Amino acid sequence: MRDVAFRQQLLMTVVLLPLTFLLWYASGPALTYPATLAAGLLLEFWVPSVVAEVFTEGVELYVVTHFGDANGTVVPATQADHEIAFKINTRLVSYGVPFYAALLWSSRVDSLIGRFSVGLFGLWTMMALGLVAIAAKDLMLVVGAPFLSLGSVPPMPIIGLAYQTSVLLIPSLAPVMIWLFQLRDTPLWRQLADQLESSRSSE
Amino acid sequence: MSKFLIIFLVALSVLFTVELLIPVQHHVIQPFTTSLATVSAAIITPFDDNVISSGRVLRDALSGFAVSIESGCNGVEATIVLIAGVLAFPASLRQKLTATLLGFVAIQALNIVRIISLFYLGQWNYTIFEWFHLYLWPILIMVDVLIVFALYLRWLSGPNNDSQLTVDSHA
Repeated sequence: MRDVAFRQQLLMTVVLLPLTFLLWYASGPALTYPATLAAGLLLEFWVPSVVAEVFTEGVELYVVTHFGDANGTVVPATQADHEIAFKINTRLVSYGVPFYAALLWSSRVDSLIGRFSVGLFGLWTMMALGLVAIAAKDLMLVVGAPFLSLGSVPPMPIIGLAYQTSVLLIPSLAPVMIWLFQLRDTPLWRQLADQLESSRSSE
Repeated sequence: MSKFLIIFLVALSVLFTVELLIPVQHHVIQPFTTSLATVSAAIITPFDDNVISSGRVLRDALSGFAVSIESGCNGVEATIVLIAGVLAFPASLRQKLTATLLGFVAIQALNIVRIISLFYLGQWNYTIFEWFHLYLWPILIMVDVLIVFALYLRWLSGPNNDSQLTVDSHA
């Protein structure tokens, strides 16, 4: 029965997932607000000549640019009768929050609220960077040269890699990494360590 | 533990970058993704002969609804996470290869369940489909990776295993 705690942990995580996902959905934009706010500030600070405004409506993050479209060509907004804008579904980067909550809440750890607050801060940071990466990909595809020619903008492959990492890996992996980090010095962690130690001594 | 983390992150970064290279996508990932659609169709067909597989697309001949299996839906990223974890953990080459192979099978088995479930969820309710597709299934696949890795640790620490485990004092 060496790894009962770990099996219980995983089982409880799966059981808690529907509840945490429900809470995440019900919270709407509130749970992700710090991340969307940080992403907006980062974008406006990073490429102020391209990004005019960033705001949220519900769970959508809107990025308004200084550019418009005239006969299929990207031109400054002053030469067009509109501004190019696009929206980003913030849930694409925030669905790791209910996963992290399920992992942590199913763990036998003390200071649950404190740990959750720290973990959530870490996830917000990842989410903000993820939203910036998604916006960079959209700016690369929609605005193109005026964005890519800026000195502060990395090459296209880097933007592509950042986008793929932010969408495909980070939302599901970051919660696990933060959770494992926070498990240090817990009974579950010590049990796993003992398990490894016993195998080493059995050699 | 810090050594594990560094090797894990380096392996993850390298493998993920390699996966995104165009030649790798063209010669490995896309053919593999196509084979997932073929396998999914082969599993469904005995129960539902309206399913057609064409390249990476699964289509229902009656409703016209189709799903295209793209990057992120082929389980490759989850497999990369598992491989990075296996590589980072001290064990023999044989154990690492075994874990990678069996883990790959376990992840892809669940991934085919994901593809088939999404194919039918999409025909039933598009909102539910999006929820499962974008939010729930990626988490469930990551839980699968965690379970596989936990089983691997258990196997390594088994009394009859000739593992060469050496872990940092904290881990």
